[in-house]
Amino acid sequence: MLAVAVKLVPQLLCFAGIVLVLLRGFPGRRPVVATSVGCGFLLGAAATLVLYRSFPAAASLAVIRDVVGAAFLFLWGVSVTALYRSTGRAASQPAAPRFLDGPIAAGSGALLAGFTAAAICASRLPGAEAGQLPALLLVMVAAAVLLFAALALEKVLPASFTASPASLTVAVVALLLFSSSSIIRLDLFAPLTMKVMKFTHDFVHQFFESMLIPDHLFIRSYLWGYIGLLFGKEVGFWGGLVIWFTPALLILLAVSLEPLPLVSHIRQGAQRRKLLAGAIRNRRLRLVLPLIATLILGAAIYRSRFPSVEYWDPKPLRVTATASGEIVIPRKGEIDLEDGKLHKYLFKQGGQEVRFFVLMTPAGKLTVDLDACAICKPDGYGQAEGTVICYYCKTLIPLETVGKPGGCNPVPVNFSEKPDGVHLDSVALVNLWSSTVQSTTRVKEGGK
Amino acid sequence: MKRLLHAILAVLTSRATAPVVMGLFLLVYIGIAFFTDETLVALIALTGKNFFLIALFALLPLNTAGRMVAETLRYLGRRRALGSAAAPPSGLFDEAVELPVSADPTRLEERLRGAGYRTRSSQGALSALRGFNTFPARLLYLAATFCLFAGILISLTMRTSLRSTVIEGETILPDPGSAMVERIVLSESKGKILAKNLEIELSGAEPGDRSRIYGLYPPSRYQGAFLYPRYLGVGILLRFSAPDLFPAFEEFCILNISRPGKEATQPIAGSPYRIVFSLASPEDGSDPYATGRMVFLFKLLRDKEVVLNGSAPVGGEFSKDGYRFQFPDARRVVITDLIRDYGVTLIWAAFAVYLAALLLWLPVRLFLPRREMFFRAGGDSTAGYSRAEGGRRRHAGVFQEALDLLETGHAKEVLHKVQ
Repeated sequence: MLAVAVKLVPQLLCFAGIVLVLLRGFPGRRPVVATSVGCGFLLGAAATLVLYRSFPAAASLAVIRDVVGAAFLFLWGVSVTALYRSTGRAASQPAAPRFLDGPIAAGSGALLAGFTAAAICASRLPGAEAGQLPALLLVMVAAAVLLFAALALEKVLPASFTASPASLTVAVVALLLFSSSSIIRLDLFAPLTMKVMKFTHDFVHQFFESMLIPDHLFIRSYLWGYIGLLFGKEVGFWGGLVIWFTPALLILLAVSLEPLPLVSHIRQGAQRRKLLAGAIRNRRLRLVLPLIATLILGAAIYRSRFPSVEYWDPKPLRVTATASGEIVIPRKGEIDLEDGKLHKYLFKQGGQEVRFFVLMTPAGKLTVDLDACAICKPDGYGQAEGTVICYYCKTLIPLETVGKPGGCNPVPVNFSEKPDGVHLDSVALVNLWSSTVQSTTRVKEGGK
Repeated sequence: MKRLLHAILAVLTSRATAPVVMGLFLLVYIGIAFFTDETLVALIALTGKNFFLIALFALLPLNTAGRMVAETLRYLGRRRALGSAAAPPSGLFDEAVELPVSADPTRLEERLRGAGYRTRSSQGALSALRGFNTFPARLLYLAATFCLFAGILISLTMRTSLRSTVIEGETILPDPGSAMVERIVLSESKGKILAKNLEIELSGAEPGDRSRIYGLYPPSRYQGAFLYPRYLGVGILLRFSAPDLFPAFEEFCILNISRPGKEATQPIAGSPYRIVFSLASPEDGSDPYATGRMVFLFKLLRDKEVVLNGSAPVGGEFSKDGYRFQFPDARRVVITDLIRDYGVTLIWAAFAVYLAALLLWLPVRLFLPRREMFFRAGGDSTAGYSRAEGGRRRHAGVFQEALDLLETGHAKEVLHKVQ
């Protein structure tokens, strides 16, 4: 129980941070915010309990990750709107909608934030306990204590520390993203980099085709080398960084570009200067929260890139083929194929090396797959918390889907299951590896 | 009806339209991503077929055109206002101040000239300008954006593509009335971008039966369609006989081999045979596709078993164990797409205009941003208007000082009269 509590410290602190920011964002709505965020947490924890009991863990986690993704998308909308509003002509700039300060906005915003924070917290519980009531009750008690602590802390914060709707959103979403980044199956940054990599590849390809630009066959190799940079995983990482930080930077920009008050109607120069200096000071103070949010987003990336999870990645065991070209891997013995762990093997033939693994899926079925996918460089896979991870692109593949082809899933290998173990055709295995590595090497070399 | 027109005009000229439309497309993209990995391709295909999405996308060029008109009208309105003594319509300037005193603004002329402004005065009105307007650059930017979105819209809705196997000595299309492919020439390029030049010479492509050469880039048009070479290949007339093959095989085969090392498989229809072809690498390191001196390496397979390996040049033959290969003829082939797309030109034009806009905007915005102020005396009040595209703080200081001077000058006048 204590270990669980320690594991949940970052998530619970994030919840306290969310409460604090919400209280500052809606300064006149303390009771509404406190009640809503508390109820939201309670509802979120209960909903997660139901979700885990009704659906497989992978599906439940996917739903929660989509909710966090929707929050990030919402942040994008808010940041673009903030910039739009602050760069408009002063004379024609629309006033902020009044409902944003109202109890409905404060209540619903706090409810949703509390709900999502609770769902993330509950997902941090180890698989078996995710659906257990006592652990969740412990989480709820801790959250209630932190809620009251945040209420007390908020009272002692300086009055000048305020949060505009955009700053409030970026801070809450940054805390949610940080909270989810330590759960590898809820982390958004790693899949985002993968999506960016794929989008860049598709965009360049479509651009070449649409603009009738000659294929790589006719282009100088040095130039193609530069174009090839767009197909690397670095593009995914840097593009992901841009998408990740842009909302916070747009909000910082929006605050910096907020027009100063019009003072030309004041005829005393000293009064004008005083007003302008006050406005500039307030504007600088309003930058503090988005800046903190930017740092939190950076910390989320750090957690995503360097998770505190240790992957199960055994050294591949060398196997040989029989005279008839058959590879036999015993079911039990030194290695138990049915222990649910990933077991890696290495087969060498005629200068070719093939890595593959055998795994018992949670459904109780054995699967044999290449230690490579059909998209990325064959850097292999590691196993952690109900998933395997592609080391190249950091995509997490739920154990339930290992053995199914497509995307970044390990390439399945045909095999037959016999009482003594798993039987593979060595020629088919080498051919499959060759064709896979050949096609993914094109990506490695910047092929279009 | 009037309300509807106003709403349409508001949408077409609003700054918010483009981000909202792009946001909606982003949502569609994310939605598609849940179902397929080929999200961008699927979005392009879906947009091309779906009337609602096309209409939504069409808002982008329409909005840009609307904003060009609106911003031009605003610019002209401001120019008119600066040149007349009449009160300017609201919204043309960043700031408008009315002093409750009647003062002659033309007295500020010397002062503002000293501050680096060009001044113009007329009957109780004074305008002061400094720097250059970025409006031309802005108009170019909007024109480029219009070209870009209009080009994409045209491409999405009207692009047609026809893949053709262009073979030397054959017509470019199966239609016998189409142009004849006289020659296909591949040569080394001396350019910085292209490594190779590819020329397809067509006769009968234009009236008068003149032959015309179609290069690689920029793509030329044949009967209104761009010729877009995709892959190179070789067409060989293959005669193949085997002890158990009756009758012997003879066919003109198109093989996707244009450089040594690349392999292509030709199945022998109605038999268990297939032949894997590749081009031999010449000893002098030359490109066999470019020189035409091709030697074919081949591997004959019967099901999965390799029967024999061999090689023969164009016009030559190879025999072994009752198997016979002949290659009486070989021609260069280019797999070419004939693409009708009127949006491509607009998109390229957009990039050129974007560049021009940037080159115009950057120096003006950095070194000579436009700053304007306008003062007008009317009855017992004086109005001041100000606008700046850059250097706002300094300009605002000059504007406020000018207003101060107008008011204190008026106070002194009053005091003088009283004394």
